[in-house]
Amino acid sequence: MQASSQLLNWILWMPFIGVIGVLLVPKSKEGLVKWWSLVNTTITFALTLVLYSKFDTTVPGMQQAFNVKFPWISNFNIFYSLGVDGISLPMIILTGLLFLICILSSWTISKQVKAYFALFLFLQTTVFGVFLSLDFFLFYVYWEVMLIPMFFLIGIWGGENREYAAVKFFLYTFFGSILMLVGMVALYYASGTGVDSFNILALQGGKFTNLTIELFGTTLSFSKLFFVFLFIGFAIKVPVFPFHTWLPHAHVQAPTAVSVILAGVLLKMGTYGFLRIAYPIFPGASVHFADAIAWLGLINVIYGAFCAMAQTDVKKLVAYSSVSHMGFVMLGLAAMTVTGMNGAVLQMFNHGTSTAMMFLLIGILYERSHHRWIVRPDGTKGFGGLYTQLPKFSIVFIIAMFASMGLPGLSGFISEALIFLGIYEKYTSITVLALLGLLLGAAYLLWMFKRMFFGDVIEECKSYTDMNAREIAFMVPLCVAVVVFGIYPAPILNIMRASVGNLVSMLANY
Amino acid sequence: MGANYLASLSHYVPELLACVTMFGLILIEATYKESQKERGLFFLASYLGLASIAFFLFTELQAEPLTIFTNSIIIDSFSTLSKIIMTLGTLGAVYLCSQSKDIEEHLKPEFAIMAVGVLIGGMLLSSANNMLVLFIGVETLSILSYVLASLRKGDERSSEAGLKYSLYGGISSGIMLFGLSHIFGTLGTINFTEMAIVLKSVSTVQISILLPSFLLFFAGIGYKIACVPFHMWAPDVYEGSPLPVTTFFSIVPKVAGLAALVRISTTFFSDPGALNIGWVGTLSVVAALTMTVGNISAIGQRSVKRMLAYSSISHAGMMMLGVLVISEIGTRSVLFYSITYLFMTLGAFYVVNFVNDKYGNDHFERFNGLVYRYPMMAIVMTIIMFSLAGIPPFSGFVAKFHILSAVLLKKYYVLALIAGLNSVISLYYYMKIVRLMILKPAESEESIAGFSYLNQAIVCALGIPVVFLGLFWEKVLIIADGAKVFVQ
Repeated sequence: MQASSQLLNWILWMPFIGVIGVLLVPKSKEGLVKWWSLVNTTITFALTLVLYSKFDTTVPGMQQAFNVKFPWISNFNIFYSLGVDGISLPMIILTGLLFLICILSSWTISKQVKAYFALFLFLQTTVFGVFLSLDFFLFYVYWEVMLIPMFFLIGIWGGENREYAAVKFFLYTFFGSILMLVGMVALYYASGTGVDSFNILALQGGKFTNLTIELFGTTLSFSKLFFVFLFIGFAIKVPVFPFHTWLPHAHVQAPTAVSVILAGVLLKMGTYGFLRIAYPIFPGASVHFADAIAWLGLINVIYGAFCAMAQTDVKKLVAYSSVSHMGFVMLGLAAMTVTGMNGAVLQMFNHGTSTAMMFLLIGILYERSHHRWIVRPDGTKGFGGLYTQLPKFSIVFIIAMFASMGLPGLSGFISEALIFLGIYEKYTSITVLALLGLLLGAAYLLWMFKRMFFGDVIEECKSYTDMNAREIAFMVPLCVAVVVFGIYPAPILNIMRASVGNLVSMLANY
Repeated sequence: MGANYLASLSHYVPELLACVTMFGLILIEATYKESQKERGLFFLASYLGLASIAFFLFTELQAEPLTIFTNSIIIDSFSTLSKIIMTLGTLGAVYLCSQSKDIEEHLKPEFAIMAVGVLIGGMLLSSANNMLVLFIGVETLSILSYVLASLRKGDERSSEAGLKYSLYGGISSGIMLFGLSHIFGTLGTINFTEMAIVLKSVSTVQISILLPSFLLFFAGIGYKIACVPFHMWAPDVYEGSPLPVTTFFSIVPKVAGLAALVRISTTFFSDPGALNIGWVGTLSVVAALTMTVGNISAIGQRSVKRMLAYSSISHAGMMMLGVLVISEIGTRSVLFYSITYLFMTLGAFYVVNFVNDKYGNDHFERFNGLVYRYPMMAIVMTIIMFSLAGIPPFSGFVAKFHILSAVLLKKYYVLALIAGLNSVISLYYYMKIVRLMILKPAESEESIAGFSYLNQAIVCALGIPVVFLGLFWEKVLIIADGAKVFVQ
């Protein structure tokens, strides 16, 4: 019992041990820094798998066996409190896997190697912190601290316009967090400043439904007002239209590995925030705003798809496709049915793997071509006939593309199908329109594929080499995940079922 | 009566020590020859003097509150903690002065002497229990500040700063005195304790006189804190003064003014009623304006010093939020904010000063690529900038969290939102300097003379509390929590 109860601590702080290790290595030994980071993330990933193996799928709430809790600031009843349930576990495993893969894909980094790996591992600790925290204050601290390594990772190792992208990303997210901070402190007082005032679990269950506040003489519903605050805070991260404008910049300018983490894990923190905080704490308000969430999700799907279609930069195209795919998650969240919610959580995981593949592949291509134009600004083709030049690369790309498109047999299909099944009864018209988004998704991806991989081989593509062993090594696990979870999603669905069911039944009371 | 006064003196050691330090410094300075450049002994004496004041204050921190000098001075843990913050701020500014090239060598002793004088005024202000003592405190603080502002005698801008400062200061003192006379006329006493008793039973007519009088009185304090609309002098004075003086101005007078404001608010306005509504309403508007105007003005600045000066205005606005809630948690949040603000401001100004000494100006571009030349300095500066913007896990965030929690306890949701949005604005300009230091390539490989190992170590030492208080703030919280305003 004692051994397993420290497991979450180990998962959370293992990357931080990695940071300290990286800092201790002399600057000249870059190889050692890389190998150490690789070993460290491997251990972390192994620990997440241990967590998976010990996880009890029948428990609906937090897994008591793993909880860690001790006081941090007792004047304010702030606890260092960690826990895991069926909603956070898929995200934790995803984080462990993607960071491991990203370390491998970062092998080619040559600028400020030590700082890069230190910040990268630090980022991993903060991401784990967000997914593991059961104390709202702790959650907020991790949520914010995460911005610092992201700012530098984008700002130092990014593309040409990196500074603008980093600043925009930071400011946008910080704006959202501030609203969340105000909401958090208001909740602290609304719940009576007792021992459980920052405890996410204790705040749950609609305790604030009937509370009202006075603002300039008008009476407002406490829960609705602060649901909107939290919603904006999380929506910026997802990103939900109209708060998405930071995303294309950040994605395009970030180095490959950071784009992968951004799309694969960080966007999910927004939807995770809905599932862990906004929904359970304000169930009444969530139901009240479900229509709005569904419509915003629909706009995300359609608008993201159209934006993606218009792009000539392939990385930007994938970035907008993330906007579109996160729209599906929002639709699943708006459904508030067991099927829809399961679909949403599954989509969070599946989008994490499929979009990570896309970004990694684009990164691999970029290392050879040093540009990402499908069509250059002067109208000439940026790529052509890659299929004959890079056969292995093309096969992996096809898998990633079809997974992202939602082709049956690959992972994206199941989660999107579940979402549509879940939402159909409640929002029939939205479902029909969102299906159109699926069609658009197929259109822009296939069109992009046609332009880049088919046709005549253009001159500069002839010099490209196919994927090397290292690149194949980090793409294979993702390919396997995409295919296996496309055919047999039960391992993930089993873990989340009880927790999601718990949440849905809470929402069903309103 | 005489014996009473003598007994009071024993509780007044820190202030007396400050006076002794000031006169001692004048005497030491007089022994130097005109041509002598090195003033090691002088500065050593000033550090010793200030450190011993701080030491005595620390020993008094746990003492029971008491009033001395026939009830005109009050010594409680709140005033003691404020004095500690001011003393440490002065110490920091004097050390900066000894290292800075922004002040001519022969003027440095003058700065140190004046700074200790201002400190005495600040101490008086923070423990005043009598309108006249308060006024004397404000004036001691102000008159010496005028001299400090125009320290660089040959420089036109510095003289202009001094003149502006004294003109504005004179007018606001006049307004304050005018308000005070009305308050005295209505209540019949100038002693805070007695005033608070009389205030409990004032008639409506009296309130209609008292409310505007208190607002007139507020003009004097507001001017010291540099809150909107009394902030007009601040940019010119901050700009025209040498860097150590700006550092000093953005810490000591602000903390002193806020301490006085906290005492007045808790003593007179804690009971609900027309007076309370008027006072809190005014302070709310002023605080919101101060934050916003300070921040928005800071965005466009080219000089880092000016940027920090404007941001210090906005921080004062933030601290006023903790004052206007008139509660223990509010007082605690102001103290915590002041403590973290002290370290952040000193650290930031130290770095700016050394860069300024090297290049002759402190435009943002001078910081380009600092991380490649002085990694530790750039990292500490980054931490301080993020902390000033209120990003965890640094102490600035905790301070902001406290202020927000004090404000939201009173359910002032709009004020909390304004405060939050202001920290988003502030992040923009704080991030600008981080961006230049770390993301830009270095302009030159030249070394900066000011960053000697000792100075680097001191800047790092100032950075330690900024991180430490962000993670483990409970201990300081207990000290700040114990520092209650004593109301009889």
